[in-house]
Amino acid sequence: MAQKQFRVGVDVGGTFTDLSLIDEDTGEVYNFKTPSTPHDPSEAIENGLKQVIAAGVDPATIAHFGHGTTVATNMIIERKGTLTGLITTKGFRDTLEIARQQRPHLYDYSIHRPAPLVERWLRLEIAERFTADGDEIIPLDEDAVRAAAAKFREAGVAAVAVCFVHAYRFDGHEKRAGEILQQELPNVPISLSSDVQPEFREFERFSTTVMNSYLTPKMAGYLDRLMRRTQALGIRAVPHTVHSNGGLMSMDTAKAYPVRTCLSGPAAGVVGSAQVTLAAGFPNAVTFDVGGTSTDVSLILNGRGAYTPLREVAGYPVRCPMVDVHVIGAGGGSIAWVDDAGALKAGPHSAGAVPGPVGYMLGGTEPTITDANLHMGRLNPVALLNGAMPVDQAAAKGAIADIAAKIGASADETADGILRIAVANMARAIRSISVERGCDLKDFALVAFGGAGPLHATFVADEVGIPTVLVPEAPGTMCARGVLLSDVSRSFVKSHVIALSEESWGEVLKEAARLTAEAEEWLVSEGVPDQLRQYIRVIEARYIGQNFEVRVEADTDDKEAFIRAFYHVNDDVYGYHVEDRDIEIVNARVEAIGKIANPLEEPPVVTSTVEDATLGTRSVHMGDDNGGWTEAVVFDRARLPVDATISGPAIIEELTATTVLPATWTARVDNWRNIILTRKRLDA
Amino acid sequence: MTEINAIDMEVFNNRLLSITDEVMNTLIRSSFSTNIKERKDASVAIFDKKGRLICQALYIPMLLSGVMGGVETLLKTRKLEDIREGDVFICNDVYLAGGSHNNDIAIITPVFIDDKIEYFIGNIGHHSDVGGVIPGSTDHILTSVFAEGIRIPHVRIVREGQLDEDLLYMIAHNTRDPMERILDLKVQIAANSQGAESLRKLSSGHGLARVQKSMADLLTYTERRMRQRLQELPNGEYRSIAWTDDEGVPGPRKKICLTVRILDGDLTLDFEGTDTQAKGAINMGQYPLLAAAFCGINMMVDPSIPANFGMFQPVRINAPVGTILNPKFPAAIGNREYTAQRVVRAITLAFAQVLPRDRAVAPSADINTGMAFYGMRKSGEPFVYVETVAGGVGATLHKDGMHGTQVGTTNTSNTPAESLEIEFPLIVREYGLATDTVGPGRTQGGAAIIRDIGSLVDGVSVSTKADGKKSPAPGIFGGGDGGRSSLEYHRADGEVEELEMFVVDRIMAKGDAVRLISPGGAGFGPPEERSRTEVNCSVRDGFISRGFADEHYPESASRAAAQ
Repeated sequence: MAQKQFRVGVDVGGTFTDLSLIDEDTGEVYNFKTPSTPHDPSEAIENGLKQVIAAGVDPATIAHFGHGTTVATNMIIERKGTLTGLITTKGFRDTLEIARQQRPHLYDYSIHRPAPLVERWLRLEIAERFTADGDEIIPLDEDAVRAAAAKFREAGVAAVAVCFVHAYRFDGHEKRAGEILQQELPNVPISLSSDVQPEFREFERFSTTVMNSYLTPKMAGYLDRLMRRTQALGIRAVPHTVHSNGGLMSMDTAKAYPVRTCLSGPAAGVVGSAQVTLAAGFPNAVTFDVGGTSTDVSLILNGRGAYTPLREVAGYPVRCPMVDVHVIGAGGGSIAWVDDAGALKAGPHSAGAVPGPVGYMLGGTEPTITDANLHMGRLNPVALLNGAMPVDQAAAKGAIADIAAKIGASADETADGILRIAVANMARAIRSISVERGCDLKDFALVAFGGAGPLHATFVADEVGIPTVLVPEAPGTMCARGVLLSDVSRSFVKSHVIALSEESWGEVLKEAARLTAEAEEWLVSEGVPDQLRQYIRVIEARYIGQNFEVRVEADTDDKEAFIRAFYHVNDDVYGYHVEDRDIEIVNARVEAIGKIANPLEEPPVVTSTVEDATLGTRSVHMGDDNGGWTEAVVFDRARLPVDATISGPAIIEELTATTVLPATWTARVDNWRNIILTRKRLDA
Repeated sequence: MTEINAIDMEVFNNRLLSITDEVMNTLIRSSFSTNIKERKDASVAIFDKKGRLICQALYIPMLLSGVMGGVETLLKTRKLEDIREGDVFICNDVYLAGGSHNNDIAIITPVFIDDKIEYFIGNIGHHSDVGGVIPGSTDHILTSVFAEGIRIPHVRIVREGQLDEDLLYMIAHNTRDPMERILDLKVQIAANSQGAESLRKLSSGHGLARVQKSMADLLTYTERRMRQRLQELPNGEYRSIAWTDDEGVPGPRKKICLTVRILDGDLTLDFEGTDTQAKGAINMGQYPLLAAAFCGINMMVDPSIPANFGMFQPVRINAPVGTILNPKFPAAIGNREYTAQRVVRAITLAFAQVLPRDRAVAPSADINTGMAFYGMRKSGEPFVYVETVAGGVGATLHKDGMHGTQVGTTNTSNTPAESLEIEFPLIVREYGLATDTVGPGRTQGGAAIIRDIGSLVDGVSVSTKADGKKSPAPGIFGGGDGGRSSLEYHRADGEVEELEMFVVDRIMAKGDAVRLISPGGAGFGPPEERSRTEVNCSVRDGFISRGFADEHYPESASRAAAQ
């Protein structure tokens, strides 16, 4: 019989590093938590792995190790990347600085676009030029490339990006410039825009490529340290990294393309949610991840996380497929305040982990959303984390009373009001992402995770008209579990903007075939066996005259069938299609997938009963719209068996989260040990 | 003073904004035209039954008053009892329907609850062509509103739920792309219906009275907030002048005269003394002037105040009849944004005299530069490519101005060089920041943009229009002026011709190019207070030349030399 094997998923968060361990034989999942170590996040991972080993796991039996990381994102936010140089086509050194020539705030001129990641004196222009059709109207000035290399060497530049106009398709000059730079600067990593993201629209491509350069040296250093630490612990599995669209990449790929990890953490949460909700029978869902400072929401459509081809990271556009997570500044630590004309607001300022909410007794003095929850009795008024973390409900109430005095309302009304305002904010974000894609929320489930997701989920669902809420097991470690459910994947793309015709369709198919070959080569290099390799062919197209393309999954070689699929996608995305307008192909894309993840396994059976799980009752304010103060039954989630049903008003407590059921909601534990919450009256 | 319910106000404000977001998203998602879909040149607003603006989704300040003008004038020209449930109005006309310019078509839907109008919801979108003399409909050289495309007073496009297909057909076929007009107008109508339904649901779910009380509270709060901000400023009169470069057609510069009066929380913008109306299309109607005025007021007084009826209450605007800011019918108004930018400049200059230093902003490029190319694609189909070029932003007390950024009443994006080269037989020879265009000062204005576009074929026609050659951004508190705009024509044979900022239909030969430099942002405070390090950084980065540094920062230069 094969030896027992484990898989480890890690999510490095701002405050805690979470580890999820799954026993491949039994399907049993174990969670570990350790404080994050921002100066070197690999240290916390090592500490967490030591806990795992101390719990009796032989490091040699860890067959797979994946992690989500915020190393790249933090480097951008804190601007702590590497001194980077750029060489670009003559006439385009300021593409990064001008951006799309828009200002970030309509009326507040003190808010600026972030300064480019490469300073202007290190953005050097080189004579070279292709036209859009590929005519070389100016040959590459190779001497100028060498001179640029000399200048970079002198300036101490540690990474170089090469970004030429039309290089998404005509990459000869970039490749040659890259070779010269590599000879001249043998120890400096070079990123070519034609390699990092060969899609047209120069600003976004240049921005992505430059960010990749800026991140490369330090990301490589971090991954090397992580590798050394895991090897020192006796773990033979090589660390994989989650990319922004929720798949895994090998060390080598992550080192070459660190820009693809910008949404690593949230992406894992979306992947995990998609698997959990699909298994539970809800292919369409809204993820609702409420942390201390922010709330992330995203859509899951037909069991897959909705993705976006372009988004900003700390104000810089990044073009590569990423989970489409919408972030708002409202979380448990968001501060409630009253402005000088009498309006009550919740956020966007946050008390963070320190000083934190008033009721946490860590020095916080300003009332937060968490304090309102303490006031209302929704959070345990004595202690959180199964009793490990005492709280001061009276202090929280005092802080709420201060706000109440300012707006002339009672303390109960005020606490309720703060939560209603927070819920209205969160609801607005959910409506916004669903309407953008034309979804009807009545057909969706809300999957609530993060420390504070389950606390607000039923209220948000009421506000937006979602009939079902799903609270997965250990909602505080959803992202780490998501890592365990991730496949190896990478997107290969090539821009080729051309009107659709018999002739061009043939060219596009050839392009797609070339990409598939490239994708296969990559899957081989990632060690994915033949039978686990999968390819999804996508053609992005638009009507001539438009600038926005739609994504058409096209496994057909038949042009007419493709056109029908294009119409179908237009119907889905925009609500209609137009038959007498010409179509233009924009990109060919191949998603390479290595199906290495194990399917979700049913957890072991719990033998306790609902009675065993009943902890007692407490007085909870369910909101003025839900009858105000009510006596709610309190349950311990860990002891709730499969098929247990609970009727609100009730509170379900577990280690990292609290689920609130107003009287209008019922709960049931499904086979996967998810809590499925359902609204009792559909007209509510 | 009315007591507001702070909790309900915030909750319902969010729910109402959710509705405007939703309608806006539908508009963007479902429209066909690039202007609405990608440039978001559209806006959505909700009004109470008295036609008071409650909330709005807005990306471009010029559209602030777009729907509001339509609703307010509708209520003046129609009796409420003549409006039936299911009626929807369409309008665009500046003189009859509070419009912005003919391209901006508004759709206004009265929202009935229990047989009574309780709200209005409206949206406005910029339609790329509404007929008239010139493709695209607006052009600064036009001299009558009749040349600027179809004029639509308030008319019912939907009657008691029945779309008037005939009228839609008539409007669409007065434009150059009827299919696109029909699609977009239908989307505008449908988006409003969706918003109206959401408003009805909100009111039935929470009670009409409660929603309306929250709306009233929001207006009370906003007015109170605006007054508070104004009361923090000293009473007094503050004057300023801003100039256009011409009158749309070649001709004299037009003067905008502004007196700002602040008195105990009331604000008057008095444009007495402003020049007579322009011959060309740079005149501004009443509502566009309101949008420009509030663009400036918001910048200066409270950048994040919610846009609603309460915000307007403490403010009076006076623009004498027959001036460029209140022209007589049928003056052309299509390119009112040129003048709007100068109105914003006048407001910035006047408020610099009264605001605390750290809130003043030096004038920016304040332009709406247009470059338009007409010609034939390789396929033989005609093309029109219009680009707006940003300029430098004015400096503030602690920060240099942003380089190459849209300011004031506009915030539109550029077209990527690669996109336009794929589509049109043109080549972007340079798109960058221009050296020595910053306004020197303790803090510097932002650099201007160079946009140099060549033609790869014979026969492309180019037109341009930009202000800022005769009237650069004036520095404040001792700061220097921003760079002036300029325009050069580079012939294929290498000959360079300096042009006025005003080119109409010049035919380009293969290899010819047009090189436009926009204006820079103005400086803030005396240049001698700028540190040597900062001057050297600007030189190292190439924003200014050594010569410019020596001329404008002699103190710093001599100190550097002494080192």
